[in-house]
Amino acid sequence: MIGRMIVANVLHRPVRTIVSVLAVAIEVGMVLLVVGMTTGMLTEAAKRVGGVGADIMVQPPGASFFLGVTAAPMPVKIADLIDGLPHVSQVAPVLLQFNTSGGLNLIYGIDMKSFNKVSGGFVYYAGGPVQHTWDILVDNWYARANNVKVGQTLNLLNHNFHVCGIVQHGKGARLFIRLSTAQEMTGALGRASIFFVKCTDPGYTDNVLAAIRKLLPRYQVLSVREYMSMMTSNNLPALTDFVTTMIAIAVGIGFLVIFLSMYTTITERTREIGILKSLGASKFYVIHAILEEAGLMAVVGIGVGCAGTFLLRTLIVTYFPTLTVQLTISWGLRAAGLALVGSLIGAFYPALRAASLDPVDALAYE
Amino acid sequence: MEPLIVTENLKKVYRTGKVETPALRGVNLQVQQGEFVAIVGPSGCGKSTLLHLLGGLASPTSGKILVDGNDFSRMSDAERTRFRRHKIGFVFQRYNLLPTLTARQNIVLAQHIQGNGFNPHRFQMVAEMLRIADRLDFRPNALSGGEQQRVAIARAVICEPNILLADEPTGNLDTENSQTVLAMMRTLNRSLQQTLLMITHNLEAAAAADRIIRMRDGQIIED
Repeated sequence: MIGRMIVANVLHRPVRTIVSVLAVAIEVGMVLLVVGMTTGMLTEAAKRVGGVGADIMVQPPGASFFLGVTAAPMPVKIADLIDGLPHVSQVAPVLLQFNTSGGLNLIYGIDMKSFNKVSGGFVYYAGGPVQHTWDILVDNWYARANNVKVGQTLNLLNHNFHVCGIVQHGKGARLFIRLSTAQEMTGALGRASIFFVKCTDPGYTDNVLAAIRKLLPRYQVLSVREYMSMMTSNNLPALTDFVTTMIAIAVGIGFLVIFLSMYTTITERTREIGILKSLGASKFYVIHAILEEAGLMAVVGIGVGCAGTFLLRTLIVTYFPTLTVQLTISWGLRAAGLALVGSLIGAFYPALRAASLDPVDALAYE
Repeated sequence: MEPLIVTENLKKVYRTGKVETPALRGVNLQVQQGEFVAIVGPSGCGKSTLLHLLGGLASPTSGKILVDGNDFSRMSDAERTRFRRHKIGFVFQRYNLLPTLTARQNIVLAQHIQGNGFNPHRFQMVAEMLRIADRLDFRPNALSGGEQQRVAIARAVICEPNILLADEPTGNLDTENSQTVLAMMRTLNRSLQQTLLMITHNLEAAAAADRIIRMRDGQIIED
């Protein structure tokens, strides 16, 4: 019976119900999308590094494991020292560049020969490898997102690059130029940001890691497997703070809207609460009815939010192919739990207020 | 036989800031099981306050209220609520039906709050007695004033309360509907031995009762 009363109340004020449901849906959608995009982008970036095919990454002292950024790249000749270690098959030096015009893009300055040996070579969808100074390779996701074709000119880092080929995504960056070009552009002649090291057999990774650490004690030496496991928002404090802040804002929105919605409902229905009390409804009954109403709107909002998030993900992936949104059941449940608990907490004070109304005053309410 | 309702020197004072307004100034009353009592008096004489106190909706400032042997003046709000749920039914001048529910749901709600579950036999009997069987699936806004009041009476008596408290039950009705409602209350009183306290301005309505109590300035002046 209480269920019928709640459904009747919810349907009786459609605008209030829609606003409340939308607020919860936005809350759920925000949580899922923020977490989904953050983890999606990190996972995708990690997969791309994994896709290079190396077993070990060597970076200069003080470099960020996240982006491989450092103010002082390493001398390329170190590659020869690493190459001379037992069980090392190939070393590919890479100089990283960041292009910030038209979005943040990571550009790999690569030595085609060594990079191909480590990665097994690019799969070309169109065109061919970089041959000239201002040639650039783009991956198929970047090409689709920016409508880039072979032969086209791309202005990056204040230089015009000639698109010489479109390759399959998944090998470190989305854009590749010659190592010498990248060195010249940055004035870092003979230097590299990362060495990708391939072992003769992945089973030798730990041995090679130990040997490199002995050879270059101050350098950051990581197995690619270890690097990929570290690529989570938990290991990036600023990102964790950002995600937490966004979740708090989302939960706050849901909480406040439900609070206001139920608060106005209580005021509007003061007389009805008086009627329930005159019939002998206990405080618990009144609180239960109001919390159940808020819970119903939250559950509908969670459903709408989840459906909306799936729809948005489809649109994002379609129109922005370089973005990755990773939706997981675990975060779906967490977002639903946050929305439900937030809504119930938001409705609790209005429910308590309703339960405490004086029945005589409530019945006299106009 | 012990009276069902007893009040002794019952007083109620409303306080608004530092201003005190006495609503009841020492009411002594006894009502027997199965009596139909009308309480009449001018506006502001304390009739509604007395009804609210007898129904456990408010607590007295001083004095004693015994209802079926239970001392309301010593009971907590939760205890009075529990007692009201099982023993007292209310009928109001403005019907006070929940607008989002149908007549049937309004009546069933009372049973749900009481917690004894739906009793189809009792429901059928009450609906037929109050002649609302064909109006049960309509919401209050689709019912006439008389029909709404009959639904309100059905809701009040569906749980078989010992006492029915009616606050100006014919106040919003025309003569014909007033007569119908009064006749039904009379029937309930006679056939179900329902104790009935009705407050009214209308002396014609009061004439339907077995006993008329007159109030003025918070006191009973004639019984």
